[in-house]
Amino acid sequence: MMMLDPRWAWLRQLATFAILLLLWEEAGRAGLLNPLYAPTPSQIGAALVDLFADGRIWTHLEATFAAALGGLALGILVGIVLGVIAAIVPAFAELVAPVMTLLNAVPRVILAPLFVIWLGIGLASKVALSFILVAVLIFFTVFSGIRQVDRKLVERIITLGGNRWSLVRHVYLPSVAAWILGSLKIAVGFAFTGACVGEFVAATRGLGYLLSFAQSTYNAALMFALIFLILLVVLAIFAVAGQLEKYLLRWN
Amino acid sequence: MTLSYGAEPVLEGASIAVGEGQFVSLVGPSGSGKSSLLRAVIGLQKPSAGTVEAEVARSQIGILFQDDALLPWKTARDNVALGLSFRGVEWAPARAQADVWLARLGLAGFGDRFPRHLSGGQRKRVALAQVLAMQPKLLLMDEPFASLDAIVRARIIQDVAALVERERISVLLVTHDLEEAISLSDHIYLLSQGPRARLTRDYPVPIARPRDPVRARLHPAFAPLYEKLWNDLSREVDRRAEAAE
Repeated sequence: MMMLDPRWAWLRQLATFAILLLLWEEAGRAGLLNPLYAPTPSQIGAALVDLFADGRIWTHLEATFAAALGGLALGILVGIVLGVIAAIVPAFAELVAPVMTLLNAVPRVILAPLFVIWLGIGLASKVALSFILVAVLIFFTVFSGIRQVDRKLVERIITLGGNRWSLVRHVYLPSVAAWILGSLKIAVGFAFTGACVGEFVAATRGLGYLLSFAQSTYNAALMFALIFLILLVVLAIFAVAGQLEKYLLRWN
Repeated sequence: MTLSYGAEPVLEGASIAVGEGQFVSLVGPSGSGKSSLLRAVIGLQKPSAGTVEAEVARSQIGILFQDDALLPWKTARDNVALGLSFRGVEWAPARAQADVWLARLGLAGFGDRFPRHLSGGQRKRVALAQVLAMQPKLLLMDEPFASLDAIVRARIIQDVAALVERERISVLLVTHDLEEAISLSDHIYLLSQGPRARLTRDYPVPIARPRDPVRARLHPAFAPLYEKLWNDLSREVDRRAEAAE
């Protein structure tokens, strides 16, 4: 078998991707693909350029970002608070854990229509959906994380003369931070899922709203362009989250 | 002191004397409550009867476990400085002291490394620096070198012997390695098989200190003492086997 140099993996992936795009383009031009369902890459590119050309895309990007980041921040905050309390107060865990387990088991996006009824078609219902997706994830990360804190580290701090506050500061907080960072990428993905699905259900702005518009007008090129755009946005945020994780977890 | 987890005591009526600057080892089969005894002395476990009486304050007792248990998110230097900071030492001087102790344990220049980027032997040295930086009067060690390979282990044991000698630290070592016990100790206690383990015998080690624990094995008194300890320990294990039948 031919030896594959792992250093050039990205080049092989890129080349394969380029060839596929080229085949797709040529197949489209040769009339082998119905442009109604599968527009060519160049048509998708043109739709993408169009989106930015008149500048209207920015208000939609802004709406989606606001919903996703708002839901992310709120979800992480509430997830941590509930997770910490549940880990410390067994009576609270008894009440909250089953609810969280249930929320974790169902696809939480089914709550989207409910949030629209409760909170309207504005930003709030998208933030809420984003929030509920993230909060449940972070809750379990923190809750199970605190209960799995390495006993040996706790004993080490105690035998070195540390008090309760030392334990929180040097063992519990760093452990919790590590777990949250570990699930940050998943949380970011969840946050954007929440925002886009919320916008798809009912909205006047946002990438999800544009997608639903593209669907109702049978505009496949626009749809592909939007999917591509959302992909780029999430990848960019993944890269930021990855760098943050790499820096803060450099000890690992 | 009596230690138990359930109805039946693991260890009963243990009374151990560790004189100032003395190196004492506790040897016994698994399940004889050796570790529990150390945990009781440092206060991680309460004896179900009796008391732990020590002439040194708890803050003057240090303990080294088999696991190095370093905080993975702190550098070697900060791990060592941590204990000092608990005593109210500011971080800057605590870090400076940490560097001194790391250097004494042969880790000069390794202060910025995270535990993950150190070898097993190096981590053990950091853990030792962490405990010794607190300048304990009594050092408890629970099979601290068991996970290390032979050469690394011998080198660390040499360094530990030299450092406790220098700092005049009393040591209580729990081990099931007879050679380790003889080569380091002034005195060895043998624990019987648990449950209801007891201190059965004690053996003075007739090899003068200070000594090099590696070369101590060549001392004429080493082999006879080893044989005696081995026979007594084997009998303990056999007695357990008979009781099980």
